Amino acid sequence: MNGFPVLTTILLAPVAAALIMTFIPRNESKLIKCIAAVGTFVSMALSLYVYFSYDTALGGLQFAEKIPWIRDLGVNWFLAVDGISLPMLLLTNLIGFSAVFASWNVDNRPREFFILLCLLITGVMGTFVAHDLFIFLLFYEVVVIPIYILVIIWGSSKRVTKEYAGMKLTIYLLIGSAFLLVGVIAFFVKAAGVLGQPNMSFTALAEAGKQLSAFDQTWLFALMLFGFGSLVSMWPFHSWSPDGYAGAPTAVSMIHAGVLKKIGGYGLVKIALYMLPVGAKFWAPYMAVLGVAGVTYAAFAALAQKDLKYIVGYSSVSHMGYVMLAIGSFSVIGINGAVANMFAHGVMAALFFSTVGFIYEKTHTRWIPDLGGLARQVPRLAVAFMLAALASLGLPGLISFIPEFTIFVASFKVYGGLAVIGIAGIILTALYALRAGANTLFGPPREEYDHLEDIRGPEMVPLVVLGTVLVVGGILPSLLFDMVNSGAATLMTHVESAVKLGGVFK
Amino acid sequence: MLTLSVSLHHYLILAAVLFGIGLFGVLTKRNAVAVLICIELMLNAININLLAFNKYITPNDFIGQIFSIFVITVAAAEVGVGLAIVIAIYRNKLSVNLDEFDWLKW
Amino acid sequence: MIPDLSLIVPELAMAVLGLMVLIFGLIIPRGSRHGLGWFAALALLGVTGLVLAGWNNGGNLYGNLYVVDQFSQFFKITFLLAAFLVVLGSMRYVDRHLGGQSEYYSILIFATLGMMVMSSANDFMTMYLGLELMTISFIILVCFRRLEAKSLESGMKYVLLAGMSSAVLLYGLSLVYGITGTVVISEVGKILAMRAPLPLLMLGVVMLVAGLGFKISAVPFHMWSPDIYEGAPTPITAFLAVGSKAASFAILIRIFVVGMFGISLNWELLLAILAAVTIIVGNLVAIPQTNIKRLLAYSSIAQAGYILVGLVTASQDGVKGVLFYAFLYVFATVGAFTVASHFYNVTGSDEIKDYAGLAQRSPLMAAVMVVAMLSMAGIPPLAGFVGKFYLFMTIVENYLWLAFIGLIMSMVSVYYYLRVALVMYRNDPLDSTPIAVSAPVTVTLVVAMAVTLFLGIYPGPVAEVVNNAAHSFFMH
Repeated sequence: MNGFPVLTTILLAPVAAALIMTFIPRNESKLIKCIAAVGTFVSMALSLYVYFSYDTALGGLQFAEKIPWIRDLGVNWFLAVDGISLPMLLLTNLIGFSAVFASWNVDNRPREFFILLCLLITGVMGTFVAHDLFIFLLFYEVVVIPIYILVIIWGSSKRVTKEYAGMKLTIYLLIGSAFLLVGVIAFFVKAAGVLGQPNMSFTALAEAGKQLSAFDQTWLFALMLFGFGSLVSMWPFHSWSPDGYAGAPTAVSMIHAGVLKKIGGYGLVKIALYMLPVGAKFWAPYMAVLGVAGVTYAAFAALAQKDLKYIVGYSSVSHMGYVMLAIGSFSVIGINGAVANMFAHGVMAALFFSTVGFIYEKTHTRWIPDLGGLARQVPRLAVAFMLAALASLGLPGLISFIPEFTIFVASFKVYGGLAVIGIAGIILTALYALRAGANTLFGPPREEYDHLEDIRGPEMVPLVVLGTVLVVGGILPSLLFDMVNSGAATLMTHVESAVKLGGVFK
Repeated sequence: MLTLSVSLHHYLILAAVLFGIGLFGVLTKRNAVAVLICIELMLNAININLLAFNKYITPNDFIGQIFSIFVITVAAAEVGVGLAIVIAIYRNKLSVNLDEFDWLKW
Repeated sequence: MIPDLSLIVPELAMAVLGLMVLIFGLIIPRGSRHGLGWFAALALLGVTGLVLAGWNNGGNLYGNLYVVDQFSQFFKITFLLAAFLVVLGSMRYVDRHLGGQSEYYSILIFATLGMMVMSSANDFMTMYLGLELMTISFIILVCFRRLEAKSLESGMKYVLLAGMSSAVLLYGLSLVYGITGTVVISEVGKILAMRAPLPLLMLGVVMLVAGLGFKISAVPFHMWSPDIYEGAPTPITAFLAVGSKAASFAILIRIFVVGMFGISLNWELLLAILAAVTIIVGNLVAIPQTNIKRLLAYSSIAQAGYILVGLVTASQDGVKGVLFYAFLYVFATVGAFTVASHFYNVTGSDEIKDYAGLAQRSPLMAAVMVVAMLSMAGIPPLAGFVGKFYLFMTIVENYLWLAFIGLIMSMVSVYYYLRVALVMYRNDPLDSTPIAVSAPVTVTLVVAMAVTLFLGIYPGPVAEVVNNAAHSFFMH
């Protein structure tokens, strides 16, 4: 398949689906859903193909496509994948495909819903396959607007209204991105000075970045840390996350918690750390501290919640704390753990949100005291729920065990006591995840839920797809780790050599 | 002995004073016609400026004079339009007092 | 010596066109004047073609008083396209609310001619004439609905404030003339480059900033614009927001970047502060607005602040940013105002709350409104993002604080833009009859949206053109 622009095809398949949908009468909801499913399936199938034909022994950038785009900014339509971005791309498509089926029962204005969903998926994918900072930015904020509209129309108002949730989500992310943008523009101008000509490709910017003075790298990294950190819901910039997820419709929660957040972590690794190594070295301990703070704070907060979506929301903040801790450890193992954990958490969070979504759809409540004994009435849903809960607490044999273990190894070496506090967070995770499972699924079955039908047909798709990945990833971790390691090792080699250089002091 | 001669500075000061009076009038007068007159005052101050500069700075060409003729012409057109609006508004409201123009928030 | 008139063919064509439309309006019976709008629109496209045909045909006329370079030609294309879109989008409005008068098109063409003269003027007199031709035409257009009190009142306000700001500007110009002894802008630049700035010159510069600040509605000289935008006929508001502002930027650039280049250290900070204040106030005051035209007015004030950012460094990159932003701003603004004007045609309301459920009544209008607003907010992949990238790129080295203010405030602006989106998309319509969109309006809307999207995703070609234009500007 040499020369075939496979990444562009992956990217444009959902857009094409969205375009076709605009011409379909709005009441043909079955047809619309099928088109959305086909569009996302094409992307998923192709990204699976890319994932398994990527040569991990060779490493580096593969499937590259490069077309000159804006000459005076040095921008190219440069798409490529490496060991770090490929798992993220696959994750996006797995979740995107599942999200279409998780929203199979959306009957209120389905055409708009699926158009926006497809655009959202495209935006997320774009950030992961872009190897050009400008193209990355183009996609980075694309996602914000569809999410806003999805939340305000199809969201739900419980503790906070959906309007509030949507606006909070949007404004938080945009303010973060404003800082990021300042950092990126300033960095780009400085890099153009170093290189002698403007160039936006990641590789060129990384070359330029390590030649910047330590001071410049430090403040530029701080801006990016704030921008990406607020997207990855780094404590204390996390408060949009539980509210936002609670207000959002199921598909949006899945995509948001599953992959969109990961753009923040991905950006920190692939852009901030890669391009500004000395700055990263300076901020690494702070990131670790904020990460641990996030882990424990969010875990305690999750313990206190009674709304299922808030529990999952806080749990995702807590898990992202591990990612921050891992990046803060500043080592190959740490980056491995961070990327793998993002993948694992993505699958798990998406599964979690889709089951919560189904429970809510069937029982019309997410309030744990009102639930109970669902395992008898909806056994398949209960299996999926438990699978997600067990993965969340890092049960060996499921996908998230090894990434978390890796993170602890990496961070314990560097931070000792701090890492221990982080590890202790896992106990809290076990506590709230199991308690939520027990109170929702087990105990005496309630009469009012006797009439519930178990999930079937298209509703099964997300559970099957995501559940399979959870189990397979746990049994065959090398599938994931070989890939991630090939990317992380290259990246850290660059970073460490640059740190030895120590930045140019002017 | 004190020699009284008019220099560039005198013209400039006169123009500045006139301009200041005009600007003050524009900002404080409440009658639309009076405001238009004050704008005329400002424009004439500029004409004095232009002519004085022409005489003292570039006595050999007529830039300032030509400029001031343009200013006069354009000012006439502007006042023409302005007065037409004043009349139209007077027909509507039977008043030219700016304080009464309150459909918009100002 | 006979001047080379081939350089000003587009201007001559515009003058002839304006008169022709006026005369046609008189000889064509009232009932069959519909074609006049189409005629004006197509003729404007034709003149755009003339400008494009003479793209490489630069030079100057009348002893360097009138310069035709790619910088001015780019602006002319911008004005002509804006006029084209406005005429196209306003035909129905003219028939319905303005009695189908032909003078409307004629005066609109003259206003465009004034802008074209402004962009090419290389001396204070020509510039002033162009400026006044544009302003007086606009005054007439603003109060074109002469039986409507609001329209007349805004016309009154416009004539008084425009007169005052012109006077302030002229006073500044007269001082600059007195100090340098010339009115040719490039000569002024040469003389000032060799001389230490006098206090009197600084007074002149401040006067120029104040006078032009009025024209571009920069804070604190912005108070007039929301009132006048609200009162004027909506298509005219669009043209006022786009054309008059862009043309004023053209002369602002020429005066400051060419004429005052030598003393740029003295005004850079002034412009930077002006830009910052404009961005902050424009965006913050837009938040509580309930009338769509006032909201757009304040947002266009903020937009002027962003364009000012490009002037702060007086560099080629900055001019490039201004040109690019002015171009994309045309399409976003005309798109948004055309939606507003068409909505007013159908419902007779400008209130945001009446936009409820527009997404169901007319998906195209709602989509154009959202795209236009988000482009102004600078959300990728829309043109505004690229434009802001170009603008802020020039100032991160020396004015990092301004970049922070600008980008954070642009995210704040998303807040009020999204409130409109919220009303249009979430709320159910009170009256769910679909809004029919006529063919010319559809064309305007689709063009505005397509260009905004295209420039955002693939700005390459336009960026090249703009680059050349900015380069040509620095050649002499």
